[in-house]
Amino acid sequence: MNRLYKKTVGLTLLAGLFLGCGVAAAKEFLVGVEIPLTGSLARVGAGMNEGISVAVDIFNKTNGKHTIKTIVIDDESAPAKAIAAVEKLASQEVVAISGGYGSNNIAPASDAANKLGLPYITSGGVDDSLVARGYKTFFRINNTVGYQKAMVGLIDALKVKSASIVYSTKEATANLAKDVEKELTTKGFKVGMHAFDPAITDFKPIINKIKLQDKPEVILMCGYENDYVGILRAAKVLKPKVKAMIGVWSLATAKMAADFPDLMPWVYGTALLPFPAEFKTADGKLFAETYQKLYNKEPDYLGQFGYVQSLLLFEAIARAADNDTLHKGGVAEELRKTDRETLVGRVQFNDKGDNINFVHRMGQHQNGKIGIVWPSEAANAKPNFPAVPW
Amino acid sequence: MLELILQALFSGVLQGGSYALIALGLALVFGTMKVINLAHGELVLLAAYIAYTVESSLGVNPVFAIPLALLIVCAAAVLVYFLVDLIRQDRELNSLLLTYGIAIILTNAIQLIWSADIRSTGSAWFQEPVVIGPLYSMRSELVFFVVSLALMTGLWWWLSRSWYGRAVRAVSSQRDAAKLMGVNPRKTELVSFIVASILASFAGVALFSYGVIQPSYGHVLTVKAFIITVLAGMGSIPGVLVGALLLGVTEALTVTLASSALQELAGMCLFLLVLFVMPNGLFGAAGRRG
Repeated sequence: MNRLYKKTVGLTLLAGLFLGCGVAAAKEFLVGVEIPLTGSLARVGAGMNEGISVAVDIFNKTNGKHTIKTIVIDDESAPAKAIAAVEKLASQEVVAISGGYGSNNIAPASDAANKLGLPYITSGGVDDSLVARGYKTFFRINNTVGYQKAMVGLIDALKVKSASIVYSTKEATANLAKDVEKELTTKGFKVGMHAFDPAITDFKPIINKIKLQDKPEVILMCGYENDYVGILRAAKVLKPKVKAMIGVWSLATAKMAADFPDLMPWVYGTALLPFPAEFKTADGKLFAETYQKLYNKEPDYLGQFGYVQSLLLFEAIARAADNDTLHKGGVAEELRKTDRETLVGRVQFNDKGDNINFVHRMGQHQNGKIGIVWPSEAANAKPNFPAVPW
Repeated sequence: MLELILQALFSGVLQGGSYALIALGLALVFGTMKVINLAHGELVLLAAYIAYTVESSLGVNPVFAIPLALLIVCAAAVLVYFLVDLIRQDRELNSLLLTYGIAIILTNAIQLIWSADIRSTGSAWFQEPVVIGPLYSMRSELVFFVVSLALMTGLWWWLSRSWYGRAVRAVSSQRDAAKLMGVNPRKTELVSFIVASILASFAGVALFSYGVIQPSYGHVLTVKAFIITVLAGMGSIPGVLVGALLLGVTEALTVTLASSALQELAGMCLFLLVLFVMPNGLFGAAGRRG
């Protein structure tokens, strides 16, 4: 009886140990998503969140060993709520955080995450001060330099010599506008600067100043969707004699082409992919297929950024778990080792967490489609120049 | 330079007309009930989204959405009134909290129904440029400037000539005395809420026709309307027009002569300056003439 008892206990312990090892080896990890789903950034936050969900779906189907579960908290586009969201996610024992939009929200949120020792990855904030802090837990996919290179690269390719920059006084847009101005001035361009408050709706006085005083060859727009619509409407009324209207994010998108068909023709903006989207890699095709299945629409750039940042994070978590360094700073360490081709190009982080390879592409609205017109190696269309929507 | 200033004045006047249309409803309710309806901007926005729905689903000009907008926004305003009417103590203060809460609910409801995407009219007719000598505008701006003036005239006539209008003014001046004269204050207040919602409906359709809307835009409208109401002086309809035009022209001139980044600051400076010199507003009780 005693021997039988010992055998039973021994076998039970062995089975328990075996099963326990199995659980430790293949585990579900909690990842926090702090993102604006309401408030002024709701539209972009929702777009990015779609990409994050696609990354979860793909990772869980393809990893084969580990799975990811996300806890999403809406930061309501407010910095204080972003901090509260990070703290709540930490209390729910997430291993890292993906998300955030707007440098003014990301800065305090990632600050809180850093204090709590949580890795924080984003593609929603381009302000340089985010990486200047030198946090070991902070990582981002895109930056001002990447957008600046794309805008200046296109202007160089179009061979123009003067530009007026209309920019929102929000941190990210103002920084980008000033950096572009600096580079263009250094190259000998004549540049006019026109800042606008994010609350303004009537852009006619600004465009009229540009038309009558600056008389540039192109107008550069650093703003957001509502600003672009206001600027282009004012330009359509006043018809300044410019050769091109060039913007940045949220402009060369299929959505803008569909929603504002009268304003978008021949307008330039940053674009990762042409529209209709052409995914050439297996990763890209899988992303597009999953996105289409989950949301029944074509993926946009926000979804792509959300997907890339999250997939890189999930892969880093899996590697850290395999190395048993998950709770010893292993996720940040693995993210720092990242060197991988993604939907937004090659990603490698420097010691401050910035992606050193990020360069955007420029697209142009062409007859309801979006053609990539810069850089030449990624281009699938030629720029129609000079051409404006009016 | 003259051309720039003329265009700035023209743009400012048109912008002022749209500000006036948005502020009128808030000023009316503030005047009669001493209630600052912080959900007013959201009611305007609701009308704008109704215009979007009608235009996008039926493919018609957004002005055809006005009847539906009137129906829905009036129903929402009546609901807001009955909720405000439930307040028994410190109505002026508690109504601020209540209407602020309603504004948040409305913002989130709008986002749930219409998503967070930006919307604007696709009507080519409304977006056509109108050129008068050296002055430029969109057709929608001119159309709704005229509508704004007509509604203000109509409101002024209603307040000064009709029985209900006089009742509104009586309740606004002395609630108890009006009651003694046979005026039912609750009914009168309800009427002022409904009239405010009619104005909000027009303002919403106008906003959709010349601007861009998104769910978070409601509180911006409320703040703008509140500034104009205070500038005007409590309950003054001509004051709303003058205050709105002054604000519109100040903003446009700031953009032209200084920087558009200072536009909001200039508006706030004007607001503080007027309050400093004329604490009751431009046409407030102490300063009202005639």
